[in-house]
Amino acid sequence: MCEQSGGRILPITYELISCAAQLADYYHSRITTVLPGFITDPGAVSGADLLVINSPGLAQYTCEGWERAALIAAEQIRPDIIIIAHTSTGADYAPRVAAQMDGCCITSVCGIEFFEGNIAYRRSGFHGKLDLLYRGGKPPLVITVAPGAFPPHDQFAEPGVINVIDMDFCPQFTSNLQFNIPDQSNTELEDAEVIIAAGKGIGKAENLQLLRSMAACFNRSAIAGSRVVCDNGWLEYSAQVGLTGKKVAPLLYVACGISGSPQHIVGMKDSKTVVAINRDPEAVIFRYSDICVVEDLEKFIPAFIQEAEKRREEI
Amino acid sequence: MKILVCIKQVPDQESRPMVNVQRTWAEYGDKTAYWINRYDEHAVEEALRIKDIMPETSIDIVSIGPQRVTSAIKRCIEMGADQGFHLYYDRMEYVSPSLKSQLIAEFCRNRKYDLILTGVMSEDTMSAQTGPMIAARLGIPSATSVIKLDVHATGGYIRVERELEAGHRCSLDLALPALIAVQSGINRPRYPSFSNVMRAKNTEIKEIRYDMNVPAGRYETVASIQEAASERAGIRLEGSTAEKAAALWQLLHEKSLI
Repeated sequence: MCEQSGGRILPITYELISCAAQLADYYHSRITTVLPGFITDPGAVSGADLLVINSPGLAQYTCEGWERAALIAAEQIRPDIIIIAHTSTGADYAPRVAAQMDGCCITSVCGIEFFEGNIAYRRSGFHGKLDLLYRGGKPPLVITVAPGAFPPHDQFAEPGVINVIDMDFCPQFTSNLQFNIPDQSNTELEDAEVIIAAGKGIGKAENLQLLRSMAACFNRSAIAGSRVVCDNGWLEYSAQVGLTGKKVAPLLYVACGISGSPQHIVGMKDSKTVVAINRDPEAVIFRYSDICVVEDLEKFIPAFIQEAEKRREEI
Repeated sequence: MKILVCIKQVPDQESRPMVNVQRTWAEYGDKTAYWINRYDEHAVEEALRIKDIMPETSIDIVSIGPQRVTSAIKRCIEMGADQGFHLYYDRMEYVSPSLKSQLIAEFCRNRKYDLILTGVMSEDTMSAQTGPMIAARLGIPSATSVIKLDVHATGGYIRVERELEAGHRCSLDLALPALIAVQSGINRPRYPSFSNVMRAKNTEIKEIRYDMNVPAGRYETVASIQEAASERAGIRLEGSTAEKAAALWQLLHEKSLI
């Protein structure tokens, strides 16, 4: 299923095609991309056929609209596997499609492997502590694919055939759709070379002062927080790093009291150097860190600041 | 208004899952502490907030699992929910959301809930499927990742705000009955009140046993499970706090970061 915005196919669709290509090799089958929307001039898709499900009722995303479009496409194509992006949109309707077809669903797939002679789908679970390999049940199987898990497919491949199905559809349950892009700009965070980030482990809002003091040891620094910290109101959501917040890739990311849930990791995994400070020696964050400090941050951060002051005086 | 909240009891965040001998599932030690899946707790709180505004609201809690999940259901009643239902299932293995959603949909039939609430995902399997699947099976609309919910009972709809990527939001009106999967950040769950704790002591949680046998190969299964691999080298600093602080400063200085 294509991810689209205003009828334009979004790049993540090519990651889905890449995933499909791996499976198509194994199953010796065709790939069809499905584009629901109100589309006047569908462009071809490189490397796959395109089936447009067209209706004025699909001008904006609705869960019921996309579910219906996917089911109509499935009736036409009779797929073994339906691939949807694991985005706020995809995760909204994908499980419904599986349930309607009495099939099954595997979400947030981040890799495809062979296991005991069969295709298996890899995903993360248990706060990110364990990797799981799933096998599909009786087809059709719906999978949602984690963004960034697959490289984008060759966008210069031969485009496929385009077909259009006009769907008679008007949303029945959904109305008054509005989009809101709150001003969450945070140029200090977006431009920062060094980010000191707070997780639930900082314990209380007051400890943010420690992080601010640590940030002051570096040039072009900013503080950020995990989702929990922002949910608690300790920091504004504009400072949130993670799947539903900002994605950052600074030169240095210092994770303080952050457990390392997959949703947070997605937001900072491209950081050049990662330092994690956590009391729990088995915290998941340490698997994503270059330097691991197993310490109570209330003791360690002041010690680090003291060291930095000492060194500054020496110069 | 008649509300159902679907909850899952999960091991708490400190718990250490251990891969079982067959490498097909995770086991937890006897001393493991369990709690209400964090996202489901937000769902319970949201139901209670609706009841604060509309006192004629009744809140039912349902959960699938072994005997111990009754303590999680009881906790919801202590927070202020009215009735609890335990769908008994005690096999320690992966259970497909396809099956769970069938069981809960079956439970819902003829109970005429106006609103079904659940958390966006569970902390252990993190599938984020069961909620939307229940709704699909009941033929009602659903919305996921909801961070704001307002009931317009007379109009027969709810207004919800959904969280999208990069801090964007969208809002929509959804006709009732509907299912909503809530994200954390929608509210702050309350603590049990003394009067509700007393009431919970006298509230019987009804146990229901459905036939849960699924033909082999029908739904997805977990073929293998293992410790997550490390993505980075992860040098562990040694020594006292002061020594580690000095070592970190040195390493960062060598990288021209400080």
